[in-house]
Amino acid sequence: MSTLKYICWRLLMALPVLLGVSVVTFVLMAATPGDPIRLLAGARADADMIALVRERYGLDEPILKQYFIYLKNLVQGDLGNSLRYRQPVADLIARHYPVTLFLVIYTVVLTLPPVVFLSVLSARKPNGVADQVIRVIGVLGLAVPVFWLALLFARFFGAQLGWFPVSGYGETFSEHMWHLFLPALSTMIWVVPILVRNLRAALLDEMNRDYVQAGLSKGLGRKQVFRTHVFPNSVLPTLNLFAVIVAYLLGGSVIVETVYAVPGMGNLMVDSILARDYFVVQGATLVFALTTMLVMLAVDLLSTVIDPRITA
Amino acid sequence: MTALLSVRDLTVKFGALTAVSNVSFDLERGGALGIVGESGSGKSVTCRALVRLLPDTARISGSVRFDGQSILDASESELDGLRGKHIAMVFQSPASHLDPLMRVGDQVAESLRKHTDLSGTKIRQEVLRLLELVRIPNPENWLHAYPHQLSGGMKQRVMIAGALACQADILLADEPTTALDATVQKRILDLLNELRRDHGLSIIFVSHDLGAVSAVCDDLIVMRRSELVEAGPVADVIGNPQHDYTRMLIASHPDRQAITTARRGTSGTPLIEARNLHVRFGNRTLSDLFTGGDSRFTAVRDGNLVVRPGEALGIVGESGSGKSTIARALVGLVQPVAGKIGFDGNAAQITGARRVGYLRDVQLIYQHPYEALNPRMTIYNAIAEPLRRHRLCAPSDVPDQVADLMAQVDLWPELASKIPGQLSGGQCQRVAIARALAMNPRVLIADEITSALDVTLQAQILDLLLRLQKERGLTMIFISHDLAVIRKLCHSVIVMRRGEIVETGPTEQVFDTPETDYTRDLIAAIPHLPEAVPMRSR
Repeated sequence: MSTLKYICWRLLMALPVLLGVSVVTFVLMAATPGDPIRLLAGARADADMIALVRERYGLDEPILKQYFIYLKNLVQGDLGNSLRYRQPVADLIARHYPVTLFLVIYTVVLTLPPVVFLSVLSARKPNGVADQVIRVIGVLGLAVPVFWLALLFARFFGAQLGWFPVSGYGETFSEHMWHLFLPALSTMIWVVPILVRNLRAALLDEMNRDYVQAGLSKGLGRKQVFRTHVFPNSVLPTLNLFAVIVAYLLGGSVIVETVYAVPGMGNLMVDSILARDYFVVQGATLVFALTTMLVMLAVDLLSTVIDPRITA
Repeated sequence: MTALLSVRDLTVKFGALTAVSNVSFDLERGGALGIVGESGSGKSVTCRALVRLLPDTARISGSVRFDGQSILDASESELDGLRGKHIAMVFQSPASHLDPLMRVGDQVAESLRKHTDLSGTKIRQEVLRLLELVRIPNPENWLHAYPHQLSGGMKQRVMIAGALACQADILLADEPTTALDATVQKRILDLLNELRRDHGLSIIFVSHDLGAVSAVCDDLIVMRRSELVEAGPVADVIGNPQHDYTRMLIASHPDRQAITTARRGTSGTPLIEARNLHVRFGNRTLSDLFTGGDSRFTAVRDGNLVVRPGEALGIVGESGSGKSTIARALVGLVQPVAGKIGFDGNAAQITGARRVGYLRDVQLIYQHPYEALNPRMTIYNAIAEPLRRHRLCAPSDVPDQVADLMAQVDLWPELASKIPGQLSGGQCQRVAIARALAMNPRVLIADEITSALDVTLQAQILDLLLRLQKERGLTMIFISHDLAVIRKLCHSVIVMRRGEIVETGPTEQVFDTPETDYTRDLIAAIPHLPEAVPMRSR
């Protein structure tokens, strides 16, 4: 029961955050040079024409009033219409959001097995050969810029070998998997080393704990002590870092989605910013913020399941 | 009859360091052997070497035979069959030796699952039986609890239950009561005795506390600097010690130290006093408002104390009783929500601009000396820091002052250039005392300063404090869960329980005619040495 209350409470707390996010994006967009109407009406439109279009979209009102109109619509569930695509922002997001979500979940699914495997391998013999090799490769993965790697992968696996498509999203689930493999892989390259470093350190920490001695003294053997005691205790710090990374992946989707021309939120966001498509940027930012908060909430709830000392 | 466990010439080396050298002893079936010695004497390492529970860097030689089987030659899987099943172990701090994420019942069941064919409900029944055996009330309720929901004593019981699960022949108990309060310690010692009597358990009991060891064991070995210096039946060793170190160990036991004759505290106005002190931790959070909970915790309720100049006040109580919190409130480390603190007839300046002046007069010394000293600062700088910061003497006099302070607390001058890591715990505690004395304080608050130390060091620190009390007329507030220490040092005493003061009065009166059951329990729980040589005189 108290967990349910806690969830409600957290969701309630999300409202002021979303409000803040909307204020910041609104102000930033308004302060950015460039006029969506000029872009919309074309280079040859005259002053009257521009004024007409401006009035139709309500962009002639004072900025503060514009914001409150936007807020009023938002409360009624109306995210507004895209200036460029001339369709509801909600529809645009509904079309692009699943793609990015798929990409992020795909990346996570690809990331976790190697993270667990490599950290355990590293921690088993600290500073051993395996540990050193994993560390060096990890640093390499961290040091390589994502966009460069993405371009390289696209060229080699996509263009040269023709194993994977270099753009698009596909129609069916298996096509999605096929299309998004390279984007997910290039993201994974830098996520894995971060998590491996974190989990390895946690494992080494936990291996020196007293309860390991206690477990050994019961004759459980090293393997079982590692599995039942050390590993569960090590997961928590990595889980929290993981939440931050997932949130970052949502925002970071911009780079890979652009390189691989994936029709996701990142792509939509970049295009809309360039076109000064105010309402799309607003809507997308709010969705990003909401997702981030949900991920954090999920991880906090998961933490209470793993560690009974943490109370929701 | 051959011995159940036979140890010959056991030697353990870590690189160039010899931790245990040529130790030999036998343990009969049903016997109980105590191993005593100060920290670093190798007693713990000896204990762990018996089941080869040591880091890979340890090199063990000699022979350890359990029931005819050589343990040092056993393979890792043979060892796993032995550990927990035939030789079980209980450790010092139950809090850190239990997995915080695993339910208590499952931790007890671990060795059952490993070593027996029991399953499902059978295991559950067996775990319940074990929890009952170690006297955990309503075991069904605790089966699914996590370690953090249990008190220290309960955790130790759970650990013992886990160790007893497979009816092991030998229980290796490595300082099983050191981290516990006296009352809890007594109950655990009683439990060990009972298990031995009723279940024929053989016990090896490692401790630095002779009193605790003699409450359980028949035989005793004394270790010092990795060597065995004396062995024999407990009564013989304590009644007629052969080795100087053993004699010192016995003399250091609070039981064997002369009780200072009743000193009357000076009368007159109190130097430091607290009235109706109330300390609460935590704040009401927004989520409290939402869920109707209260995340605040009252640590001290209605705390009153009065200390007159030259007096020493003892505060005793179990852990969590709020005794440290009172001390911290007196120097403003925690803010009381209500109550008055008076110093020298006026309200104490525990906050604000004159706080610095107040703290020069009232100094606090902490429990863990290593943690209270900056690990990168030399001893000289640590003691000189307050002198320089408060300009207590001319810069040119600082070296002399430091040397003088070090002499007062019996620190060799050579130690001045060392860092805390190179000193022993007792020496570090002296540095902390010297640093406090540098302020020339009028009140010294000592928060469990001897609890982390061995008995021998503890006795030395107590002597030092007694001397300072006499020489400098220091007013002291001495906090401890060890009543023997309080009795030796203090004029009056306050007994605390769950944040409240349950009894207060002159030390003699509280100890000789305690008014509450709680105080009686505390006093009864002090482990005594067997009265082989009558020393105590009333």
